[in-house]
Amino acid sequence: MKAARYWKRIPRLGRIVLTKLALLIPQMFGVTLVTFLLVRLLPGDPARLILGNFATDQSIALYRQRLGLDQPLLTQFGIYVSNVLKGDLGVSPFTSNPILKDLSERAPATLELIAYAMLLTFVLGVGIAVISVVRRGGVIDIGTRIYGLAAGAIPDFWMALLLIFFFFHILGWAPAPFGRMDPILTPPPTVTGFLTIDCILAGDWNGLASAAGRLVLPVLTIAIVNAGALMKMAQIAFSDIYRSEFIRNMRACGLTEAQIIRSALRNSLPPIITLASFIFGFLLGAAVLVETIFSWGGLGQYAVQAVINSDYAALQGFVLVASAFILVVYSVADILYEIVDPRIRI
Amino acid sequence: MTLPRWLRLALSHYGALIGLALLLIQLTAIVFAPWIAPFSPTEANPLDALQPPNAVHWLGTDDLGMDIFSRIVFATRVNLLIGFVAVFGSIAVGVPIGLLIGYYRGLPSAIVMRVFDFIQSFPVFVLGMAMVAVMGQEIWSVAIVLTLLFVPMFARLVRAEVLSLRERPFISAARCSGAGDTAIMFRHILPNAMTPVIVQISISIGMAILLTAGLSFIGAGVRMPEPEWGLMVSSGAQQMILGIWWIALFPGIAIVLSVLCFALLSESARVLLDPRLQLQERADG
Repeated sequence: MKAARYWKRIPRLGRIVLTKLALLIPQMFGVTLVTFLLVRLLPGDPARLILGNFATDQSIALYRQRLGLDQPLLTQFGIYVSNVLKGDLGVSPFTSNPILKDLSERAPATLELIAYAMLLTFVLGVGIAVISVVRRGGVIDIGTRIYGLAAGAIPDFWMALLLIFFFFHILGWAPAPFGRMDPILTPPPTVTGFLTIDCILAGDWNGLASAAGRLVLPVLTIAIVNAGALMKMAQIAFSDIYRSEFIRNMRACGLTEAQIIRSALRNSLPPIITLASFIFGFLLGAAVLVETIFSWGGLGQYAVQAVINSDYAALQGFVLVASAFILVVYSVADILYEIVDPRIRI
Repeated sequence: MTLPRWLRLALSHYGALIGLALLLIQLTAIVFAPWIAPFSPTEANPLDALQPPNAVHWLGTDDLGMDIFSRIVFATRVNLLIGFVAVFGSIAVGVPIGLLIGYYRGLPSAIVMRVFDFIQSFPVFVLGMAMVAVMGQEIWSVAIVLTLLFVPMFARLVRAEVLSLRERPFISAARCSGAGDTAIMFRHILPNAMTPVIVQISISIGMAILLTAGLSFIGAGVRMPEPEWGLMVSSGAQQMILGIWWIALFPGIAIVLSVLCFALLSESARVLLDPRLQLQERADG
């Protein structure tokens, strides 16, 4: 009873956040379990797998001891978890850096790409959905049906190549698809890790133009391929609301169309937010492919290198970080969902 | 009209017709690949490398001189084999699990559901990539990994149906007439719970094709010289920047058409299996 009373005294936002955080801990634990099992359940010696074929017997014996491979599986998992908590994800035999260092150096590149891609996906998906519902039966409405069907069928890596072919090779509008910035320019001092923002902070307008220009094609690729799914969902959510009683009432009261659309959109946000968070998960997968094509130098490209080199420690680290990141995104989306829908009781 | 209902519906939906036509083309390619393809799909011929589409090599040749048309035709076998094995494998595993956790409620079912929630919260492509990399880049590991990734989806679909079916009067009737749990589950509930699974089959095959192609593209899937669409796009990726477009373009079109085919079929299956959606659908779109 007493606990319940204290609980009620916390503001609503605080209660939402606390409930989600409580859920996040067992989920994170699960993620570590999966990444642990990923390498450990394989036939063969994990130490040899992780260190590769060139490792000496001595270093393997040392590594076995460090991982606790001579001990029961449960103890091994305990050692793995405590290493992860200490931020020790192992050392990559290919870059000879600690994996956490490798990952954190590359994370900003991927985050910048995904952030802009998500923004464009959201604007494109929701924008087209709203227009198609408001102007039902119009050119855009019919176009969305074809787009909705086609977008789900286009592989992102192929889309990227087509865009490169047209905008770089034929038209020459886009910069070369190699990296985040023209190599002759010096990158701005790292503040946020987002090149576009760092360039603005440093007042480096040439750098900004180069970084922004190189973002265009990869961001466009991801948005074109992923906006379709968001659009379909947003169409359903928005048209339900747009044709509902209270919107008719607003129209009868003489509100302008812009006010009506804003109000309908506000009310159809919860399902759209949930789907957008799922799309974020897809974007991470898409980033792996798109980064490889544009030599982006982010987490995705690192993961692909790890796959090609059979660098299991790096791969394990990447899956751990990527999944943890997605879980956080889902939790944030859940929190937003409950904030925008005041009917949900906490 | 004397035509059967399903045929009338199929004819009234251009989407279904296009889907069926595309499926027919793919099945022809699978069965008659050695007769359709003018060249070997795996034989490199450096003298003929990088030829643009011409009368001999209809869709051109890649950097190793392999005929792109022949490879696309043979790749239909690989891509659709992986797609079908993964989807039907995950149905074989997922449907019984869904049936059990829907029928018996309790702690074990709740735990299984939490595990599924959890697996589905991983980014599919990232998990798939890691699993295939660890298992070895073979056709069969791709199929097995995709199977594992799809199991929660089918189990969930069945579970949701079972949850509502088990409360229906006809189940009580079956129980009163002396049917045991097994008979109720498999004879009475299962046939009624399959509709969403059937709709999902086709769309999942499309998803499997896209995932396989993506995995092979980054080198975590099928390996050279095996013909596979994503791998073929990948072998033309470098050349695309130099304006050699035919290596990556045509296998990409094959992927789009194939996935589109299964999406259209899934859409038609949804309409066909829903007795509430009648022919007038055509009138209002």
